[in-house]
Amino acid sequence: MLNHIIFTVAVLGGINGLLALLLVIAERFFANYGECTITINEKRELRVSGGSSLLVALKTDKIFLPSACGGRGTCAYCKCRITEGGGPVLPTEESLLSEDEIADNVRLACQVKVKSDLAIRLPEELFQIQEFKARVAGLEDLTYDIKLVKLRLVDPTDIQFTPGQYVQLQNKPYAKAKETVSRAYSIASSAIDTKNIDLMIRLVPEGMVTTWVHHHLKQDEEVVFTGPMGDFRLHEGDAEIIMIAGGSGLAPMVSILDELARNKSQRKITFFFGAVSKKDLFYVDEMKQFQEKIPKFTFVPALSQPDPEDNWKGQTGLITIPVENHIKKIDTAKSQAYLCGSPGMINACIKVLSSNGITKERIFYDPFA
Amino acid sequence: MKQTPEEARIRRNFETGILSKDGFLGSDERHIHDIIQEDLQTLSRLGVYPDEIAQRLKHFIDEGKKGLEGKIDLGAFTVQIRWDRGMIPCPFGEPGLHPKIHARLFHKTKQREIRYTQLGVHLIRKHGFFGGKGSVFRLEPAELVTFLGIDTTK
Repeated sequence: MLNHIIFTVAVLGGINGLLALLLVIAERFFANYGECTITINEKRELRVSGGSSLLVALKTDKIFLPSACGGRGTCAYCKCRITEGGGPVLPTEESLLSEDEIADNVRLACQVKVKSDLAIRLPEELFQIQEFKARVAGLEDLTYDIKLVKLRLVDPTDIQFTPGQYVQLQNKPYAKAKETVSRAYSIASSAIDTKNIDLMIRLVPEGMVTTWVHHHLKQDEEVVFTGPMGDFRLHEGDAEIIMIAGGSGLAPMVSILDELARNKSQRKITFFFGAVSKKDLFYVDEMKQFQEKIPKFTFVPALSQPDPEDNWKGQTGLITIPVENHIKKIDTAKSQAYLCGSPGMINACIKVLSSNGITKERIFYDPFA
Repeated sequence: MKQTPEEARIRRNFETGILSKDGFLGSDERHIHDIIQEDLQTLSRLGVYPDEIAQRLKHFIDEGKKGLEGKIDLGAFTVQIRWDRGMIPCPFGEPGLHPKIHARLFHKTKQREIRYTQLGVHLIRKHGFFGGKGSVFRLEPAELVTFLGIDTTK
């Protein structure tokens, strides 16, 4: 009886092993898509081994599409237009693409598997995106939940960016977070310093990358980021600039103000910075320095709920209040507004700006919100 | 715990470090269906539907948004909202993304605070999922009903 059971188990185990082996062989031979060609913008051809996602295939050739979810099809940053091949839109993509995008053959590069030749279209500026290795040159608490992360570039050693752009910083696996993901952070330093960049990173409750930065990242540690990305930047004009930011949304404004100072801008600039109480305020001295360098620059911090011990004498109330009071007094016909902060703050400010004559074409903000 | 390949794929989304740092299950090793089933039975005994709870929680988020991160006084409660950039998908894998909104709801007389997310409201409403035992955003259904003052005598 026992021999019979052992024999049966052995036979079943053998069959299982054989089936597993067959699957491996089938994967090797039948799922081998060979070498495929990806034609980019009708002028550049990549030869890649088939089988990987389009996002990964492009990355191996140093073409970095924005991606914050590690290719899981959740962030929808890696959209690109596929003009030939790619197969039908997958259910995993449908919710992240609009009807117009689907009609225009826009796909998520992380979900498209390269099984045959493809032709794709990418914006030219994506070719400027590089992967950088950098070393942590400084970590400083700006507030109880915002850190200034100073990075010195290692490879490549220089970065060219437009003030307002962002990079995507990758975490390293830590504690129970075994996977690497990346998140977008605006550059908070001068574009003329090509060897270093500063980032301002606010701790997000249960955030994967921000927890790593705040609790695990160490001085001198090597990190990886890709960039520069984004088209949030200063636009030409001579009318008043209204800047509005909250929290780590100050970051791109610092870089833009540095550009305005270097160019000896004569534009009137009013920067409204919203915070809850004084403990959320930072970079006030740096803003005073910009006031000395830029003749018509005014920094207006506003606290929505100052603590009694703050002894606050400045503007009080939601940031939308001083913004509205200000724009009601100026000619908004050509004014431009630059916003960076939480989606809630951006939505509330857009409403106030639009209803006071600043049209949506002249309101600029980071699209990665 | 027996799972279909599809269930195993979905369960992976609930684990630590996949969609969120601490995941959605805590130390709970039960099948997700069992977690949901037990919580729904608790609510059924109280005569409360998950949708009633989700509606209240959403109401506080909507009110809290007006404070732009400051506290909003709503009589018996205060609410404070953090709305961070980025979106998070539902771990059940259905279409759609949810904003990263994190609420702190404080009951003045009970002197007790709960924390929850906009995604959490969706998980309660759509899936009857209140989080695994020991997870960061686990809301005990019976305690939640009392905390929110939902009438169980109707």
